Amino acid sequence: MITQLKSGNVYDPHNKISNVKKDIFIQDGKIIDKKNVRSKVDKIINCSDKIIMPGAIDLHTHIGGGKVNIARLMLEEFHNEKEPGYDSSAIIAPSTLKTGLKYIEMGYTTCFEPALLPINARQAHAEMSDIPFIDKGGYALLGNDDYFLDLLRKKSSQSTINDYVAFILSATQSLGIKVVNPGGINAFKFNQRALNVDEKSKYYGITPREIVEKLTRAIYDLGVPHPLHVHCSNLGIPGNFLSTIETIKAANGLPIHLTHIQFQSYGNNGDKGFSSAAVEISNYLNKIENLTCDVGQIMFGQTVTMSGDSMSQYRNHNHAHPNKWMCMDIECDAGCGVVPFKYKDKSFVNALQWAIGLEIFLLAEDPWKVFLTTDHPNGAPFTSYPHLIKLLMDKTFRNDILNQLPKEILNHTILHTLKREYTLNEISIMTRSAPAKILGLKEKGNLSEGSDADITVYDKNKKDIEEMFAHPSLVIKDGKIVVENGKIKEYVWGKTHTVKPDYDKSIEKDLGKFFEKYHTMKLDNYILSDDEMNSLVGSPVYVNDCKYKRKQ
Amino acid sequence: MTSQNNIKNLTCPFCSMHCDDISVTTTNDQYKVDQKNTVCAKKIESYNLNTKSIVMPMVGKKVVKLSEALKKISNLIKGHNETLILNHGVELAGLRSILSFASQRNCIVDHVNSKFLYQNIGVVQRTGYMATSLTETKNRADAIIIFGNEVLTKTPRLIDKVLTPKNSLFPTSKKEIILIGNFSAKIVKNIKGKGKCNITNIKLDLNLVGDFLKLLATDDLKLLKGLKKSELIKIKNILNKSKYIVATWTASDFIKTLNPKKIIAAICKYIVDLNVSSRAACMPISGILADETSSQALTWMTGFPSSIKHMDGTFKHDRNAFNSQKLIDEKNVDVVIHVSTINSGKLKINSDITNIVLGHPNTTFTSTPDIFIPVGIPGIDYEGIMFRTDKVVSVALKKIRDIKLPSTQNILDNLA
Repeated sequence: MITQLKSGNVYDPHNKISNVKKDIFIQDGKIIDKKNVRSKVDKIINCSDKIIMPGAIDLHTHIGGGKVNIARLMLEEFHNEKEPGYDSSAIIAPSTLKTGLKYIEMGYTTCFEPALLPINARQAHAEMSDIPFIDKGGYALLGNDDYFLDLLRKKSSQSTINDYVAFILSATQSLGIKVVNPGGINAFKFNQRALNVDEKSKYYGITPREIVEKLTRAIYDLGVPHPLHVHCSNLGIPGNFLSTIETIKAANGLPIHLTHIQFQSYGNNGDKGFSSAAVEISNYLNKIENLTCDVGQIMFGQTVTMSGDSMSQYRNHNHAHPNKWMCMDIECDAGCGVVPFKYKDKSFVNALQWAIGLEIFLLAEDPWKVFLTTDHPNGAPFTSYPHLIKLLMDKTFRNDILNQLPKEILNHTILHTLKREYTLNEISIMTRSAPAKILGLKEKGNLSEGSDADITVYDKNKKDIEEMFAHPSLVIKDGKIVVENGKIKEYVWGKTHTVKPDYDKSIEKDLGKFFEKYHTMKLDNYILSDDEMNSLVGSPVYVNDCKYKRKQ
Repeated sequence: MTSQNNIKNLTCPFCSMHCDDISVTTTNDQYKVDQKNTVCAKKIESYNLNTKSIVMPMVGKKVVKLSEALKKISNLIKGHNETLILNHGVELAGLRSILSFASQRNCIVDHVNSKFLYQNIGVVQRTGYMATSLTETKNRADAIIIFGNEVLTKTPRLIDKVLTPKNSLFPTSKKEIILIGNFSAKIVKNIKGKGKCNITNIKLDLNLVGDFLKLLATDDLKLLKGLKKSELIKIKNILNKSKYIVATWTASDFIKTLNPKKIIAAICKYIVDLNVSSRAACMPISGILADETSSQALTWMTGFPSSIKHMDGTFKHDRNAFNSQKLIDEKNVDVVIHVSTINSGKLKINSDITNIVLGHPNTTFTSTPDIFIPVGIPGIDYEGIMFRTDKVVSVALKKIRDIKLPSTQNILDNLA
């Protein structure tokens, strides 16, 4: 069957197409060129008053795994109308079904869980398999596990570390590697309460810098498309922009992706000891070619913070709203913490956090290097993306909100001086083409022949840009119309994206012994095979190419 | 012809430890555990087919074809108002099918142990909570406080795998194990015999756990019934020196106390407070009927861990209104579908209600159910996934025999 989207205004930045009237043809779930349409077009959809973009990609959203389920359990009042604090509007810890429905209604067709604990991979994938519509995947957490830290302590070779990293990618069915508070989560288990970039952990004597150096090198050597995904040291602490910069330097020029950078761009100036360092961070972002980031914008309102960073989450638990929280040490592998939080527009700190995120977006010279996220749900639920897009595209709207915030933040932010308004093409870059590129998803985020027919069609007559992005006219997943005028037409189930770089399998012998001696499960049980993913976990695996290297 | 196989690293589905180091030798349809741990071996082997095993569907006491049993179930559900699916233990795929079936037929879904589940999650839903897992405890804990003996009777291999392991990443000279409550001499001997550890047993009434923990947290040396001053001082000294303390319990052990939730809250608060200057964490042990598999999967699929009702595409949760025992006692359901793939206990068949059982072939009942369909056991008859007691780890279950029984998923998907 061939479907034609006729005469739409197409935004396809990958192919350098911006607002060009074009037809898009779909056959067997893929996009085909007009010249290759060799049989009758079965369905023609008039898109003359429509905007066509590839399906959106969220490269950092907490949608599956143990901590997400803890949040669901903890915050029952936000989805149970029987509870006194019931708030149906707060999509802060949605079920898998609700997650899929809310994403697809906004035209998002691919999403990535950024904190997939290797020991928890089976659960994370099983959860994500139950999210309808979207393709998905995860980044495995490393850098706090005792096996890895012991490799570093023993001064193991880079090639051994590379083998371990490749093994983890394969065994956990992941697309990338993330490090959270490098070494800090492990240090917290030894009762260390902070760990700076060049500070040695008390037990292993390893610094976060060494961890970042080794992991960025491993990712590069293995040819994994997505650079090391880094949640830096000292998250949320005033003055942390300095450790963020040191973390950038730790990559030694190799590709590195800093995540939710808003939380890592804080100065400590002023009488409140809290100020914006967005300018300093943006200078680095603009000048270093191999540096990318997602923002982790905050929005005012109730949410829940969830992170592998148990050290930070424990530190923040006194700010819990409602007053409940949980932290966990996990299997000599990682940790997690779940702390509900309410960002208040009357709060100096929260208002400045809001401004810092927007500053980073607006100061970024290259939209291919900065990605639109709220670190769902840490900064805000992903359902706030259309509102965020409006903040970026409409400076009057942005300034109107800024003017309602505590006046004293104006002494610590330059947001009110920034005139920039993002264009639709730039929004398309940062939500489609750029995430696909940085993740190495060749068949996503573009409308080239052979790419997946994941397409979002917006009504350009809608006056309000927020409304336009919140409610696309049409969402197509793998060539099937799944949303039409806000109504679900058909349920489809996506696949799991992975990479599987080659490695020396002899590392499994050493790991097998480690598991035998120190773990409470066998290595065989830890490894998730493609067969298990397909038959028991419930999601087919798609292996992305792993021969890609960015510039050193 | 006799066919014999040795299968290594079988994952045991029958308790929440889900040990994956079991070796079995299969001979045709029978299997024998190679290890010497008699408690677990006996239990695992008890699921072998025997002369009393039911391997054909039954309507009342009459053997019928599967198609007939399925048709009968379908008609029964259509003709009744309220159907409860009562989970006595099943793996992830079975659970997904339970939910799928329930959503199509607007059924209530509950786990038979949900009342214990709510005692533990109450803490997560109301206060602060520090948790840990089996491997962390094995390697890191230098002091472990066990409240009540059920922890060790329900999960006996906690002793050799976690309390007194042969190896540890961070060895301490002697692990301190503090037993609170009445522990049998046999259990104490078992712990002592496995490795290097010091055991202190305080024979305290579990109702006094809250008071005991208050004494630990202060300089107060007030005495409690069953607690000597010297014991209190000794425990305070042990805990003051410890760098990573783990508290463990099983909620069902507190069921006979005056206020189980208060006891659990007191333990959790004590542990949280220790973290101000040191490290400590809780590790509750869940039930043996795949309780965690049920609560984890239901939570991600519906937002709620148990006691839910499907209503035309949405989920309602009410831990009182949809509590299975209450529904059955008050006759607020017409049909109960029991799903019981790993339960070795006798299944209670309720009078005045239609009882349908999807159970393993060795299931026993208090009286004959209206319909019984024998299903396979996950981890014995087919592959699957279950969640361990510490929730964060899930395990893959293997198939070791082929007795041609359908899985729970097969049956429910067929009925849907």
